[in-house]
Amino acid sequence: MLGEFEYLLITVASGLGENAYGAAIREEIEATTERRCSLGALYTTIDRLEKKGLLKTWMGEATPQRGGRAKRMVQVTSQGVHAAKEFYDAVMRVSRGASWAKSGARSGTKAEAESR
Amino acid sequence: MSRVAWTLVDLLSRLLDGEEREAVLGDLRETGQSAWRGFEDVSGLILRRQAALWRDPRPWLAGFVVALPCSYLLTHVSISVTCTYERLVNHRVYACWHTGHEGFPLLLCHILLLAAWSWSGGYIVGSVSRRTVWMSAALSVIPSMFCLCWDGHVFPARPCVFLFVLPAIFGVYRGLQSAAIPLRAAMLLALTVTVLMISAWTNQALWALNWALVLPAWYLVATAWRSRRGSGVMPMRRASVPQG
Repeated sequence: MLGEFEYLLITVASGLGENAYGAAIREEIEATTERRCSLGALYTTIDRLEKKGLLKTWMGEATPQRGGRAKRMVQVTSQGVHAAKEFYDAVMRVSRGASWAKSGARSGTKAEAESR
Repeated sequence: MSRVAWTLVDLLSRLLDGEEREAVLGDLRETGQSAWRGFEDVSGLILRRQAALWRDPRPWLAGFVVALPCSYLLTHVSISVTCTYERLVNHRVYACWHTGHEGFPLLLCHILLLAAWSWSGGYIVGSVSRRTVWMSAALSVIPSMFCLCWDGHVFPARPCVFLFVLPAIFGVYRGLQSAAIPLRAAMLLALTVTVLMISAWTNQALWALNWALVLPAWYLVATAWRSRRGSGVMPMRRASVPQG
């Protein structure tokens, strides 16, 4: 079973497709979760997932924006997709009946309105 | 200020592996972060990498079972060799240090033992845990520094406590290159060390604990034998050995 951050990373990498590499994944995670994502957490998780066979990485091309330094490209493997789906299904199953899940959209809107 | 900070980040990033360093520095450049966050990111990654290394037992073995105890014993042998040399050549006796009754043959035997012990200990430290060598190196100078602080004033020359360091560095260097030496060389080293040790021991010239220093040489024999069995004839290269 994946961890929360592992799931996030696989989902974001999968969404970025051919443009999935360290900086892009990090920016996407930070934008989506509105939380800071350290490079340490990112790269150690990428390594761990690669060892598990859920990701594949390789060194990509160097670009001038990166000061001529290469990117570490990331690709989600079919095993990775399977593990992410398993995690997602488990979260959905366990969330069934939870108060925040029942009226997710409505209560969210209400809370937002209250906070305003 | 920012330029200095980025130079620091660049220097710090040298502790990372080549490809990882390339990717991390590129990411920092691309995202245009502040030098402080870059420093935080790089140091955080280094800490995580180091912490991961220490989850393996090998760095602990290399540092606390080989480097620290061996350097403690080797520091004393270094002092003993220097005192014996001073007594035989310059006729100076250091009362605080039991220089014994050794003549030139035993002095030569001590010097050879010191070099072989240091080399084999260094080799093990280098081959067992390549990426934590800096920690083992730091641990191995503790006994010498301790000795200098406590009774350095009574030694013939302060640097004498570091006599074992040079052969140990050669050993570490070789250990970093390959995980095992050829079986014949390992056997020759172990037998020579054992014979010299017996010779010194029967002449009451060495401390009983120094027998422990023979173990690294025999460990090298075991490693060479195992790698020879595993790979046919030649010893394993470093690349095929899991790194600590």
